Amino acid sequence: MTTTMQSTSAGAPKAWPRPIPDSSPLHWVFRVIGVAVIAAIAIYIGLNATPSTLGNVTEACILAIAAVALNLLLGFNGQISIGHSTFVGLAAFAAGYTVNFWHWNAYWSLVLGIVLCFLLGFALGLPALRLKGPYLALVTLAVAFVWPTVAKKFLEQKVKKNSLKGTHLSPPTWTGLVSKGKDARLDKAIFLYWCGIILLLVAYVVVRNLRKSRIGRSLVAVRDNETAAAVMGVNLKFTKTITFGISAAIAGTAGWLSAARLDVFNDTSFTILNSIKYLLALFLGGAATLLGPIVGAFAYFFLDDYLRSHAPHWTWLPGQLSKGPIASFLLGAIVIAFVFIAPFGLVGFVKDQARRVFIVTPRPLRPALTPSALDDERPEESKGE
Amino acid sequence: MAHLLQYVLNGLANGSMYALVALGIVVIYRGTNHLNFAQGEMALLATAGAWWINDKGVPLAAAILLAAAIAFIGGGVIEFGLIRPAGRKSPFAVVVVTIGLFQGLNSFTSLLFPKVGNGVKFGTLFPNKPADFFRLPGGAIWRYERIGVLVTVLVITGLLFALFQKTKVGLAMRMVANNPESAKLAGVPTNRILMMSWGLSAAIGAIGGALIGGINANINVSTMFGVFLLASAAATLGGLDSPLGAVVGGLSLGVIESLVSNYPKNWVASTYIGADTAIAVAFLIILVVLLVRPSGLFGSSRVERV
Repeated sequence: MTTTMQSTSAGAPKAWPRPIPDSSPLHWVFRVIGVAVIAAIAIYIGLNATPSTLGNVTEACILAIAAVALNLLLGFNGQISIGHSTFVGLAAFAAGYTVNFWHWNAYWSLVLGIVLCFLLGFALGLPALRLKGPYLALVTLAVAFVWPTVAKKFLEQKVKKNSLKGTHLSPPTWTGLVSKGKDARLDKAIFLYWCGIILLLVAYVVVRNLRKSRIGRSLVAVRDNETAAAVMGVNLKFTKTITFGISAAIAGTAGWLSAARLDVFNDTSFTILNSIKYLLALFLGGAATLLGPIVGAFAYFFLDDYLRSHAPHWTWLPGQLSKGPIASFLLGAIVIAFVFIAPFGLVGFVKDQARRVFIVTPRPLRPALTPSALDDERPEESKGE
Repeated sequence: MAHLLQYVLNGLANGSMYALVALGIVVIYRGTNHLNFAQGEMALLATAGAWWINDKGVPLAAAILLAAAIAFIGGGVIEFGLIRPAGRKSPFAVVVVTIGLFQGLNSFTSLLFPKVGNGVKFGTLFPNKPADFFRLPGGAIWRYERIGVLVTVLVITGLLFALFQKTKVGLAMRMVANNPESAKLAGVPTNRILMMSWGLSAAIGAIGGALIGGINANINVSTMFGVFLLASAAATLGGLDSPLGAVVGGLSLGVIESLVSNYPKNWVASTYIGADTAIAVAFLIILVVLLVRPSGLFGSSRVERV
């Protein structure tokens, strides 16, 4: 727009970072390659991995779904929740109870879990209308703290046992994963793995589409400045409560998957520590980015798994350090170190690095304008998000 | 009536411990506007240190004071080395650092003091033999130990009040809490004050942890987890930026917990309400209070300008 800017764009174009217009053929090539690589990895794991690896990936998917749910609420709408373990637990208990005691179809229990979590989330969203920041954090923390006692009462009064059995979700016949005997375990693991991948994909697509829609823009407006958003005509009450509900419902699918995967679970299976794990996974990957919670959850899960299985055997650590809960200590230290290396998470870090090589510039707003006039504005607009 | 008095007295003792940890949370919140998730674990590390010093033959009172002094320095170092640089990175960074500290400090304690990992006996500062109590008219008994804990909390609150209201450092702390930018312009060394707030909070936590260890006669790595949750609830009930609120919140939380866990014994409700769900009821009460007063009983609400 100014003369200086025109002179830079009129002169020899800088080779790097290279601008790539949004939705241009080159951009599509990148997108397709990205999706293909991820799909190839997912299929490769599904075909070749051992049951225990598949189980780990499924577990990571559960963490990722919960982190995606939390990202919608905290990353995009700015409402903190330390209570997401409650939604995960509620859905898991609903599934375990209805399948084992009312002999429901396991898939119907998923619907029930989602509905219950949505309602509880919506209800929690109501006090959230009045409370801000740490006060809201405390209320959700309280919910997460109370859940185990409620679950324990439920187990005592209704189940009459101290644990609840999983749903023992078995693969339907059309999948062909119905071998008996030795392979049954592998078949079940493969089935649960694909359940995990598909539910994660669904959660991602739901959040992505929400984010890119009118509701998504109002979510972010509310996060950035509530008062200003209200003045602009965003319905605060509707936006905040509905976001809480949807986020809780997504977390519920993670709970259903847990119930399908675990043999037994009890009141201590879904505690505040799980909520903290979701938060850490989210921040590790990058809050308020679409892929962040997924990347973060996988990174967190496998880092944790690696440290737990390897760190106790590291003899090169000095004396005392090689004993005791070294894995947990290192995990805490790595998380803190990470804040300084990549304050906006892994995805933020990669984005920053990629920006040195190429920049995706937004599509022209009105095709009627001359392309040269738009060229001048692009470098500034590309800084957004 | 004797029962009621007894339950209130028991509740006050637990409540004093929540109040002390809550005070630590409030002192940090006033300075930095962040909930310090590591408050309980900082107290755990300091308490473990006090146990270790005591174990080496130093009298308990001296060991606790020494541990509190070390915690003061440690708190300042955490603020200087981790919190302040993280605060410059992104708004979420400080939250992540305190959560990371929560995870790291807990295991650091058991790495540094392997015995504490399995639980160790912790002495008490106050007489706690079976006969050490004081009988109130009506039959309720008030144990010296519980009186001692309550008095300690009140004394520390009094000292904090004096610090905030009567000294220059306290004035500077109030300025930073009120408006960091203006405080800086007025020549207050904001950074040093924040460091001091963290140190002060860690030292209060150390004393709180030692009292908790004394009452339980034991410390282990999970001692502080539940206490921290209740203390943060107490701080929120009282208002996160009010030290008086922390004490009132902590004591009333203790009393509510004690009453709820003891009273409904004869009611039909006892299948649902009892010792194990007392906390749930206490949280419900807090929720109701927060709905009426969104920034706690004594907290100040801020007006937002656009």
